[in-house]
Amino acid sequence: MSSTSQKHKDFVAEPMGEKPVMALAGIGEVLGKRLEDKGFDKAYVVLGQFLVLKKDEELFRDWLKDTCSANVKQQGDCYGCLKEWCDAFL
Amino acid sequence: MSSLRSRTAQEISDLLDEYEIKHGPVVDSTRNLYERKLKEAMAKGRKAKPSPDKTYYREEEEVTYEYKTPVRSDGAGDSGSYMRSRPAWNEREFEHETSYSNYSRPKLEYGGQQFSDEPHMYDLPSTYKSSYLKTTPGPSKEAPKAPQSSRLVPLWVQFLFFVAVAVFLYLVFSSMETNEPIKGIE
Repeated sequence: MSSTSQKHKDFVAEPMGEKPVMALAGIGEVLGKRLEDKGFDKAYVVLGQFLVLKKDEELFRDWLKDTCSANVKQQGDCYGCLKEWCDAFL
Repeated sequence: MSSLRSRTAQEISDLLDEYEIKHGPVVDSTRNLYERKLKEAMAKGRKAKPSPDKTYYREEEEVTYEYKTPVRSDGAGDSGSYMRSRPAWNEREFEHETSYSNYSRPKLEYGGQQFSDEPHMYDLPSTYKSSYLKTTPGPSKEAPKAPQSSRLVPLWVQFLFFVAVAVFLYLVFSSMETNEPIKGIE
């Protein structure tokens, strides 16, 4: 992958464990705060939501947009990050 | 439009399927998303497959063989008229006899043969008609008694009439050709 950030590489390198939601690629402080307010305080909770949405890109993007108003780039980064993690560890 | 919020998770799932929206389980965290998607789909008026109506085509069940009764009554009438026409036809035979006096004998014989055939043929119509007379006074039901075909005139009657007409035509034709008596019919 050409344009993956360092955050992305760090996240997919190892099991997420108890990493916070802001460890996800595309999720900064602002979006992270919004997600935490909605109850998604850990990365694995967002992973759970990703899995409940059947790892579907469109559904996950829509959910992210609805939940924390993520823009298209942030949606894409977060989806790619979680997808690659699942491919490696799930 | 009923509120989506009040619907059960199963109903939401079914609605998503109707609008062909790919979805996962409708749980608390996904419900809002699916409700929004359904609202968008309803607003756009996307193709929604309604619940299939179980329409049974009962036309096949309702088709009853009611035309059997007119067939039978007409058949009886037909055989009666048929019987009437036969003597008329034989009368025509005799008219030909007078015109072609040479053929009176063979014609008589043929007529005799015809007559000999007639009782044999009339046996069937008589029994045919008697069976009709038995049943027609009674309530004419739809159920066909004998293995009757759906023809107005029975098949054997048609066949016999055809043979008779063919023979008649052959006779006329042969008599027009030559003046020799028909030797084959004796």
